[in-house]
Amino acid sequence: MTTFANKTQTAPKPGRSLITKLNMGTGLVVGIVSAEVMYWLSKSWFDINEAAEINKILTLSMFAWCIGFLVGIGAFIGPFRWLIGKDLTAEEHLYMAGEGQGISRYFKYCTDHKVVGIQYLVGVMTMLGVGGAMAMMIRTNLIQPGSRLVTPEIYNSLVGLHGITMIIALIVVSTGPFGNFILPIMIGARDMAFPRLNALSWWLLFTAIITLCSAWFFGGIPTGWTAYAPLSVQAGPGMNAFIVAIIIFAISSAIAGANITTTVVTMRAKGMNLTRIPIFVIGATISVAMAIPAFPTFMASQIMAAFDRTIGTGFYDANVGGSGWLYAHLFWIMGHPEVYVILIPGVAVLLEIAPVFVRKPLFSVNSAILGFAGIAGLSFLVWAHHMYISGWSPSLNGPFMVTTEMISIPTGLIFLVLLGTLWRGKPWLKLPMLGVYAFIWNFLIGGVTGIYLSDVPADDYLHGSMFVTAHFHYTLMGAALTGAIAGLAFWFPKMTGRMLHERAGYISFWMVQIGFNLIFLGMFAAGSQGQPRRVADYAQTFATSDLISTIGAYLTGTGMLVLLWAVIHSWRNGKIAPTNPWGSKTLEWTVPYPIPLENFHETPVVTSDGYGYGRSN
Amino acid sequence: MITSDSLPPSIGDRTRKFIKRHDVRMSFLYGSFFTLLFIFLGLSFYPKFMPKIMSEQMQNGKEVIVYFTVISAPIAGLVLGIALYTFLNRHKGDTPPPDGPAIRTNTPVILVWTVVSSLFCLVAIVWGLVEMNVASSEAAENEPNAIVVEVTGSQWVWNFNYPEYGFSTDKLNLPIDRPVVFRITSVDVNHSFWPVQLGVKVDANRYAVTTARTTPNVLGVIDIKCAELCGLYHAYMESEGEIMTAANFNSWVKAEGGHTA
Ligand SMILES: [Cu+2]
Ligand SMILES: [Cu+2]
Repeated sequence: MTTFANKTQTAPKPGRSLITKLNMGTGLVVGIVSAEVMYWLSKSWFDINEAAEINKILTLSMFAWCIGFLVGIGAFIGPFRWLIGKDLTAEEHLYMAGEGQGISRYFKYCTDHKVVGIQYLVGVMTMLGVGGAMAMMIRTNLIQPGSRLVTPEIYNSLVGLHGITMIIALIVVSTGPFGNFILPIMIGARDMAFPRLNALSWWLLFTAIITLCSAWFFGGIPTGWTAYAPLSVQAGPGMNAFIVAIIIFAISSAIAGANITTTVVTMRAKGMNLTRIPIFVIGATISVAMAIPAFPTFMASQIMAAFDRTIGTGFYDANVGGSGWLYAHLFWIMGHPEVYVILIPGVAVLLEIAPVFVRKPLFSVNSAILGFAGIAGLSFLVWAHHMYISGWSPSLNGPFMVTTEMISIPTGLIFLVLLGTLWRGKPWLKLPMLGVYAFIWNFLIGGVTGIYLSDVPADDYLHGSMFVTAHFHYTLMGAALTGAIAGLAFWFPKMTGRMLHERAGYISFWMVQIGFNLIFLGMFAAGSQGQPRRVADYAQTFATSDLISTIGAYLTGTGMLVLLWAVIHSWRNGKIAPTNPWGSKTLEWTVPYPIPLENFHETPVVTSDGYGYGRSN
Repeated sequence: MITSDSLPPSIGDRTRKFIKRHDVRMSFLYGSFFTLLFIFLGLSFYPKFMPKIMSEQMQNGKEVIVYFTVISAPIAGLVLGIALYTFLNRHKGDTPPPDGPAIRTNTPVILVWTVVSSLFCLVAIVWGLVEMNVASSEAAENEPNAIVVEVTGSQWVWNFNYPEYGFSTDKLNLPIDRPVVFRITSVDVNHSFWPVQLGVKVDANRYAVTTARTTPNVLGVIDIKCAELCGLYHAYMESEGEIMTAANFNSWVKAEGGHTA
């Protein structure tokens, strides 16, 4: 009897199953060996002295790395068993969920949604750190005209890799950590609908990021994150890393999207009908559902670029019947929905936070849902506002201007929801709530400047200038990233069992927000003065604006380091958090820490939405 | 028996009560401040950042920003006014504040908000379409008097060919008040032709010719830049030009080895 009791407390023993021996380390070994083997093999097939042949060799090797890593970490054990007509044993299942394995489960192919959430969180923070460091180098190079601290080649790579790293990080910044860790608990589910796919989506993303980083070893990318053809076709071997990374990332986000959507549709607790779903869940679901149609076009655009680069297909070569405009269309059909894939979950986090700290119900939930849905729907009809000045028929600009400006209506509804929630409230200005205010200021500026840019005559002047860069940073960083950081402060107690260091959090908040506004108000000025974006150097006219931007960048960067310190410090020895430190009414605050493997001891039954604050006046 | 006390308060009474509320008055005050600030920024601060305005397109581009800022100032003011009031009226302490009023929705407010923001959107759309139409109908004209300049981008220089005068150069000089048609192409990757002070911009694509038209209407120097990342020395892909009188232009053409009619 005692042995039995002991057995339930320690990790389940799935015998000598292969699963117990695989982890990130074996994944790395198998991945790297596969890449090497593919490299030597393909070198004997292709001529390494020819550009197109090098592209073949590298592309194949990079795919070999991705597949090898997944094999090495054990991603295919389950499917392989199915193939031979078996399945994992119950003990192996439990083992894969990581029960009782401590830290080591974070380095395994783990199916527990809470482990995947933490993996995403650490992954995203690493990416933001790397992308942020590149931003610091960019701003340092632009500190004054003619500084030329890095070569133009490195500068262009910094711009491109900063861009794509941050875009990927921001796409998953809320739906990755919170969508995986918090969302299932919020809806009263015991896990995600497809736990193994959940692990797959994270580890695919991991291989894509490593692939992307390898671009530095092959000479970087000269194209910016938009990777316009024909420049991307002409580019050196580093471009292969970009292409492979995007293809893998598109698969990862499709899997994550299908998983989260299915979970929300089918796994809600009893009583959680459509009107009682928390707004973050709705925002996250709309976001990942948008990604499902959007990213395949990105993937297709990169597959075609890979074919152009390796076997000379000429999809983007006007001389043989292709067109660079085809690339621009495919890219922006993904690219504009993608900015809302980033924005909506960030905003939804803030809408989740506001009622808790104002102690009032979320004002007009229906307007919020209508706003998200309207933005999501319209965002698929606006892509060519990025092509006003491409030289195509000007009469095509009209319809895209109309659809683009119409987005201001559902966006306005989001503002109304926030204002209505704040109205007559006495907010508790904890760190998460500060994010709401920062969002209002930043997104107002980002939104109004977006209306300028949607207008053709203004865009004729401002397109391709620093003004555009400033505009989209206000929406992506000022709004979406601010929302994600607020979400981290909000859910940190639930995810780590500890409170986030408050004072460091406030210091970081003000440094980041003031610095951020300096950077991009300076950049609006530079753009209005006529400074093109993505330039390694500039004329004396822009010196003051750029200097202000650079100073702001250092302030923001330091503030982010303070936040990083706060996160690491609090995670290890922060104040132990109570179960529900903010007095919130949504389901995730009912579970204790550490959260049990299947979240709830008893399946919750939902009888109202999570916003029942307030006295009836 | 019905006395006036038991009647629901009239709309007038409710409005009077509403505007006497402290939060309403303060929000309005802060909102007005932000509104005036944005109007000021739009009208007199922003235009200082624009380079010299040397064509109608450039003037249009500036007006869009100035007037959109002014129109959106009251909405931005309203949002920031309410936000600032609640921010200053915050709850202090380490426990959650007492609950506020349970306002879940307010149909008239939602309707008014939606109608107003739709009207704002409509103004923006109509404004843009009208200005765009002016620009493209001007472009549709044949303009027999127009001077044609063939612009070719290559990594990383601009070349300007004047077919009418039979020469090409790396400077873009143009006569004032004469319509100009740019025919733009590239010999390698995408570039974007941007004569900054003229307010037009069109991509230069290989194996394709794109067009831009304008009429420079002020004398002075213009900067030509590339607005599309085109590889290593994108930042240095710049040229200069000048809008000059017809007489000066003709003598420049001769000096460059061209022939005047
Ligand atoms: Cu867009
Ligand atoms: Cu360029």
